[in-house]
Amino acid sequence: MITPAWYPIFLKEMLHFKRRLLKLGYIFSAMIVPIIYLVAFGFGLGKSVRIEGADYLTFLLPGLVAMSSMNNSYTWVSTSLNLNRLYFKTFQIYVQAPISPSSIMTGEVLAGMAKGIFASSLIIIVGFISSPDFSLTPWFVIALLLNCFLFANLGVIVGMVTKSHEDTATYSNFFVIPMAFFSGTFFPVDKLPVYFKAVIYVLPLTHASILIRKTSLDTEGLISLCVMIVYASVFFLYGSKLIKEYSE
Amino acid sequence: MIEIKGLTKTYGDVKAVDNITFSVSKGEVFGLLGPNGAGKTTTIKMLTALSRPDSGKCTVNGFDVAANPYEIKKHIGVVPQENNLDRELTAYENLLIYGMLHCVQDKERKIREHLKMVDLSDRRDSLVSGFSGGMQRRLLLARALLPEPAVLFLDEPSIGLDPQIRRQLWDIIRKTRIEGRTVVITTHYIEEAEALCDRVGILAKGALIALDTPHHLKSSVGDYIVEYIDAEGKLIQHICKSRGEAHEIAKHQANSVTVRKSNLEDVFIKLTGERIE
Repeated sequence: MITPAWYPIFLKEMLHFKRRLLKLGYIFSAMIVPIIYLVAFGFGLGKSVRIEGADYLTFLLPGLVAMSSMNNSYTWVSTSLNLNRLYFKTFQIYVQAPISPSSIMTGEVLAGMAKGIFASSLIIIVGFISSPDFSLTPWFVIALLLNCFLFANLGVIVGMVTKSHEDTATYSNFFVIPMAFFSGTFFPVDKLPVYFKAVIYVLPLTHASILIRKTSLDTEGLISLCVMIVYASVFFLYGSKLIKEYSE
Repeated sequence: MIEIKGLTKTYGDVKAVDNITFSVSKGEVFGLLGPNGAGKTTTIKMLTALSRPDSGKCTVNGFDVAANPYEIKKHIGVVPQENNLDRELTAYENLLIYGMLHCVQDKERKIREHLKMVDLSDRRDSLVSGFSGGMQRRLLLARALLPEPAVLFLDEPSIGLDPQIRRQLWDIIRKTRIEGRTVVITTHYIEEAEALCDRVGILAKGALIALDTPHHLKSSVGDYIVEYIDAEGKLIQHICKSRGEAHEIAKHQANSVTVRKSNLEDVFIKLTGERIE
């Protein structure tokens, strides 16, 4: 059987992931932030709030899954790539191997997706336990996968352009954390002022939060799906270009 | 096998490699000798498609590195100066991933053989983070040889190793040469360059200042060195063309005198006025 060129890169990351999983602290740390939000906003605030005719927990859970999938796909890839490039130098063996930049990109992105899907699955399990109305629709699954893919691609880009490990935290503070709060995780975007809404609609997580809550694909969902596909494609091509142009 | 013409690379204001030209024949062990910062690692990085030159051209195995990096990578093995093994993986996993990246056939058998070659069979399933420096250098060499490359690049392969492990590493390098591989080795150890290399290029401040066999390089300077400490405690060295000339100088010195054969460091000092450190 011929193994695809991206497979060794994916396998290496999965071997790392397996070792992290065996240390129980990893699972706990992957879950702790969304669980805090779930308890604080869902069970605390949620008792007195109803959104779009449903209880707050039903609104919040898909948003937390989108946020968690973004955080885990993005953070793992950007951190690991940054460290492997600048400190451990293990990225060199990919650059010196006879494989294409897009294969390196695919391996890194699929590994990031796997970690995002794993972390999201933990929230989904909590969702099924804590809310009787929580369910997985086909659009929920598509939005989740696409979101993991999109943010793993962004993780590669940030991992490739950062010049120090501290830089990854800067990108996270300016882009990822604001997205987590304003892109429809905790409240619907249409509650925001018009001028602010325009900015929020540019952000990719907004569209993941919209699509993940759809039971069927309406016009709004279709637009969000298209925006996510465009973002993901552009990020993939740009990440591959950065890998191709890599020079020490 | 390797052709380099006018290769230049600048980092900021520093010219790391300055217009160097040389070629390496098939089956040759070619050494780049020079102190730290002479441009040896940068040259290796450019030859192995890890770094882009500012100008100049290099071809490996008939392929232009800039135009055909993919083809080059099929034929090269690299032992970098900085250890780039994955410390969170085992020795076996490191070789497995590398073997897959280089499409190595019959991986399990080859991994077994290569671990045996570097005396690490019993540490196959140990994490590399627990390996000593010497074990990691040996594993790096096994990894580079796994795809059976036509050209092996070794960047300071024995840096930080104790003499016994260094000699073990040299034996493996000599064996790869017998197998017909071309080897390019950078080092700042005089002894290493003399023990392994058919020809040596001497680099200083990014420029190639001499290139020949170790024997010819030494002869060009003088085959014998007379050394003694003068009245002010300073080391004085005389370079002599013959043993007779050396003994003639030695017998006129009152202090303790050493007459020895010249080495590549003497060549370096003669050419640059500095020591290799």
